[in-house]
Amino acid sequence: MSDTAVIYEQKHVPQPRQVGKPGGFLHRTNFVTAVVSGIVLAAIFYFITGAIVQKVTGGGQQNNLSLPDGLQQQITMMYIGWIIGFMAGIGAFAGPIRWMLGHDLTHADAEYMSGKDMGRKKFWKYTTDHKVVGIQYLIVALILFGLGGLLAMLIRTELGVTWAEVFNPNFYNSLIGTHGIVMIIAMIIAVTGPLGNFIVPIMCGARDMAFPRLNALSLWLLVAAIPPLVSNLLMGGIRDGWTVYQPLADQAPVGMIGYQICIIVFAFSTGIASVNLITTVVTMRARGMTWSRVPIFVYGVVGSSIMGLIWFPMFQYSQILALSDRMLQTSFYTPASGGSVWLYENLFWLLGHPEVYVIVIPATAALLEIMPVFLRKPLFSYKLAIAGIFGIVGLSAVVWVHHMYMTGWAPSSNYPFMMSTEMISIPFSFLLLVMLGTMWRGKPWMKLPMMAVYAVIWNKVIGGITGVYLSDTPVDQYMHGSMFVVAHFHFMLMGAGLFGAMGAIAYWFPKMTNRYLDELIGAIGFWTAFVGFQVTFFAMFVAGLQGMPRRVLQFDQAFNIANWISTIGAYVIGIGMLIFLYAMITSWRSGKLAPGNPWGAHTLEAQTETPVPHENFPVLPVVTSDPYGFGVPDPYELLDSAELQAKEGVSKVGAS
Amino acid sequence: MSTVDERTPEAEEPENPTNRPAGMHLVSRWMNRPYARRIILLTVIISAVIIALTFVMVAFMNLSGGPASDIQGEIEKTMYVLTFTCAPLMGFTLAIITYSWWGGWGKVKSEEEPTEEGPAIRTNGVAVVAWITVCSLLAAFLVIWGLVELATITASSYGSVAANQQPNSAKAIDINVTGQQWLWSFEYPDQGKITSSELVVPVNVPLYFNVTSLDVIHSFWVVEAGVKIDVNPGAITNTGFTPNKLGTFNIRCAELCGLHHAYMETNLRVVTQEQFESWVREQGGARTS
Repeated sequence: MSDTAVIYEQKHVPQPRQVGKPGGFLHRTNFVTAVVSGIVLAAIFYFITGAIVQKVTGGGQQNNLSLPDGLQQQITMMYIGWIIGFMAGIGAFAGPIRWMLGHDLTHADAEYMSGKDMGRKKFWKYTTDHKVVGIQYLIVALILFGLGGLLAMLIRTELGVTWAEVFNPNFYNSLIGTHGIVMIIAMIIAVTGPLGNFIVPIMCGARDMAFPRLNALSLWLLVAAIPPLVSNLLMGGIRDGWTVYQPLADQAPVGMIGYQICIIVFAFSTGIASVNLITTVVTMRARGMTWSRVPIFVYGVVGSSIMGLIWFPMFQYSQILALSDRMLQTSFYTPASGGSVWLYENLFWLLGHPEVYVIVIPATAALLEIMPVFLRKPLFSYKLAIAGIFGIVGLSAVVWVHHMYMTGWAPSSNYPFMMSTEMISIPFSFLLLVMLGTMWRGKPWMKLPMMAVYAVIWNKVIGGITGVYLSDTPVDQYMHGSMFVVAHFHFMLMGAGLFGAMGAIAYWFPKMTNRYLDELIGAIGFWTAFVGFQVTFFAMFVAGLQGMPRRVLQFDQAFNIANWISTIGAYVIGIGMLIFLYAMITSWRSGKLAPGNPWGAHTLEAQTETPVPHENFPVLPVVTSDPYGFGVPDPYELLDSAELQAKEGVSKVGAS
Repeated sequence: MSTVDERTPEAEEPENPTNRPAGMHLVSRWMNRPYARRIILLTVIISAVIIALTFVMVAFMNLSGGPASDIQGEIEKTMYVLTFTCAPLMGFTLAIITYSWWGGWGKVKSEEEPTEEGPAIRTNGVAVVAWITVCSLLAAFLVIWGLVELATITASSYGSVAANQQPNSAKAIDINVTGQQWLWSFEYPDQGKITSSELVVPVNVPLYFNVTSLDVIHSFWVVEAGVKIDVNPGAITNTGFTPNKLGTFNIRCAELCGLHHAYMETNLRVVTQEQFESWVREQGGARTS
């Protein structure tokens, strides 16, 4: 297949026998069959569990939530039925079942599964091609952002209408919880999903991910996990914030089960995606792409995947225990029966904090990839950037207790954890220096991706300094649980994460869709959202400083003005995001066609043509240098050495 | 900011004899680059603005009448120190992005294609070492300041070291704080076990709180006193402070605790010793300590 030198003689490898036509069962499966079979199996599980519970308990027994008997078990089994049915209906089990029957997948089967020559239908199927999965991830992320953004508008409406309760408290609390977790999931997949899947394999010079079927599995597990989460709004809601602290979560209605199932499944999805990305980068890089020639974005995605792989199981475990408390009356978190509420908080924040870096690191790394291209300068101190990324990955393991300074769990542990938390600013400063050094004396090309760089650095500075306050236990004693914290983490997650992701998507949009993102409309949307963002969250900082606790729907009149301003800002963000979305959709449909290398980048994904051919490269590339070979010799150095030569008559250095 | 240091001339400058060390020569050479002074000026201006903003921040914190205790005073002092420490770095960062954005180094318009490439600066040993050193020293200073402050406010909260959490001040008033959905109650065991829904305390007397919850996690936040501790079911947590200002202040719940979390607030009333004693008698208690 490849035209590079043949080193070993091609041995004949016995191919498995083709049973039926290529693809087999997968011809019949698509998104619609998945939904139908999910609903059917959910209904079956629901009624069977109901019958069993009726049989076992004999009815008449009331639990502490005064819910109908066995409803919790029924709902749980219903969600499990939905997940299994959906995955079966999409065809996730086709491969393993064929393998168990002794019919290994043939090359023709694999080609069918990768969606070769299938047209648009492949986006609705269990397609293994990483480019299709990347687009699917992008769509899922956009839907989640739309949903989370809508919920955010409702929240801000409630907080802006200071003279009345717009929503009842139960619904309001469900809003903040659902907004939180939907946005967290959206942010986690925002960069590593679309770009990690679409761009990273091409950047590495691979033909696909290391495990293409696992790639499809991670995507469809995520899709399957969303409906249980969203359905909570119809089932009493998760009225406990996105952290769903115990034992409050135990009081919540059955909507909470949707949250728990979603997290348990989503953690599998993330773990699978992380393994896949790490393996791809480690084993499938192009010939000549040594570790010191790997693009920095790939490092960012790998760092993020490592954290996801290590820490997501903690979150999953915390929810499994919570579900067990709810379903089986265990008492992991019930103090009255010997459990501990602090156990939950620890398990939760063991993921909860690294997750921030899971979100921020790939977005930052994408900007580091963008900057050299738009400044036509090499990345400043490439190795320092790698050190920064892995410094954060390492330190992220030992900072989670800073979310628990005020819990009284272990007051003495505040000392070491304050130290580790403030130490994490050092690897962050590495990344900052890399950004500033790359910008230093460069001539920026003012395209949308480059604008995102400025916006994100600004947001990170604000998020960083407020983070310094919060990392300091004495100040946190005032700030903890206030609106100040909310504004701070929005500056990190949205300001650095989402605006970075917008820049990154604008940058790789031509590669993914063959068309340029409309520069003018995109920039208008971006800057509208940016201005609205500053207004919203600076006002929220003020509310927090004044002492407004978070997650309240009514508050002291002293906070009115800050909240009105904040709400106006939030609507502006909403408008800006809609404009950006409009730019994306119209450009996708009818934008200006883009060439293979629209920005003049040196990375491998810019060297293949657009649209990217089925297996990415007609000939596998060989890499001879890192992708940052921009620039001309530094004129100041030339000047300096010329001066020296003139003065001393000798050339002392061979540099320049 | 170039690598000129590598060729620091050992020899003196023959045309221009001076006592300055060689390094100064390099600095002044760098300062003569057209952008250097502008960036330094921008850094100074932005840092000054940031420092000024700190005063605004603290003013917002004090809007409702604080600080009402030494602890809040320490917190506000720490905010100043943290901002002053970070301001130069923030100022420098924002100065560079402003300068670059504004086109100080030139810029290529969106609709044009870049024609020339920038200087190929792969790295710069001096800049990297200086940056890491400065950032590490600043971070170390923040850590040390934070540790000392934490020890100070811990001593101020508990009236003792954190290790045993026993109040060492015999005069401290013990108060048992109970949070439940969605109200606070305060029990004064030393004043004849009177209970109140409002925290009434005498000024300048240390208070010591035993905090617990009947149902879910709450967080006991005496806003203007800068005191916060989670209220956990099945465990007693402790904190304390010494009110140093007469007046009425806010107590809020800072941890989502269910439907009416927003309304779970009450007042801290700091009164004189005499008023406190008469309040205790009104409530039917007796002063036993």
